[in-house]
Amino acid sequence: MTSASPMAVSMSRRPSSPVPHAGRRPIYSFRLFVAGNEPNSMAARHNLTQLCEKHLKGRHRIDIVDVFESATAALKHHVLVTPTLIVLKPKLGVTLLGNLSETRQVLATLRLNGNGR
Amino acid sequence: MSKKPTARRPKPTTQEAEAVVHALRTHQVDAIVGERHVSFVRLKQVETELESSRDQLRILAARLESQRESERTEVAREIHDELGQSLTSLQLGLAWLTYTVTLTPPVRARLASMSALVRTTIRAVKEVAVRLRPGVLDELGLVKTLRSEAKAFTEHTGVQCRFETNLRNVACHRAGSLAVFRIVQAALTNVARHAQASRAVIGLMKRQNDLVVTVKDNGRGIAKTLVAKPGACGVIGMRERALTLDGTLALAGSRGKGTTLTVRIPLSRVLITRGAAPTS
Repeated sequence: MTSASPMAVSMSRRPSSPVPHAGRRPIYSFRLFVAGNEPNSMAARHNLTQLCEKHLKGRHRIDIVDVFESATAALKHHVLVTPTLIVLKPKLGVTLLGNLSETRQVLATLRLNGNGR
Repeated sequence: MSKKPTARRPKPTTQEAEAVVHALRTHQVDAIVGERHVSFVRLKQVETELESSRDQLRILAARLESQRESERTEVAREIHDELGQSLTSLQLGLAWLTYTVTLTPPVRARLASMSALVRTTIRAVKEVAVRLRPGVLDELGLVKTLRSEAKAFTEHTGVQCRFETNLRNVACHRAGSLAVFRIVQAALTNVARHAQASRAVIGLMKRQNDLVVTVKDNGRGIAKTLVAKPGACGVIGMRERALTLDGTLALAGSRGKGTTLTVRIPLSRVLITRGAAPTS
């Protein structure tokens, strides 16, 4: 994972809830808003891909939205800055800002630390 | 760089705003998504970092310059006290020999020649010491020192150098006057080395809230390529000195029409008291 120094920032729009199981391990669906090939956007893309490969292999979906291509979608999702990662599924009510370089904090926010899920 | 979103969005909550501020502060943001356009923030970050680097360089340059001045003072003192003293003793010894010992004419002539050589060396040593540490700056102040520098420049180089000022009875900050003096000194060195000039003018003028220092010559004129080249002719050193006083430096010239160096410094950084009466 890219080791840019600043930590990822998270914020919650809705009260967080436990990750739903339903007997199977949940599938994660992300929407990552980026600004073209700007450095933090590139880093966020790379970091998210690496994280998914390592912790969510075969059970993730990443939708990349370039705000220069689709600014309306960014506004619709209340995106203020890029990179912004919105977790669509499971419904954690979590949004992460920044380049996702602080792996531990990102994993904790996504409830992926500790229990091997 | 911009698309035009149309939807309006609710105001961000405090938590969201704090998260955005944090991301901005930690330089993790590439762009801000506005309702009308998307703006890059990287340029601003780079500018901020660049300005910060420049500030650090200026502080470093000022510190180095201060150390260099201390070393110059020390060397000047050594030269003046040690070498000057020894040469004076040598001259006195030669004079004693001349007047107390009966000498043959060839020996007397040789002694006279040696005495003259020692006198010349003493003068040269004093000039070196003064150049290293202009004591006259502390004793007489900036205006008189620059007047004296113009005179000395004419004597040493044959280039007619005039000093003009509209300042009178002014007291200067030590660091400020030293910086101005060193800038003028460096500019005159450039005139002597490169300009092929027959006349030069040093100007020290109060213009509104600025002190404007100029060194003009009627020489061959600095090439435009050299004006643009930051490292040319000691310009970096002069500019750094000006910057330490919150000043600016400009170098202008055209082929065959001479060169003009202009330094503009806030009055408060150089002068303690002010006076403006035309003198020259």
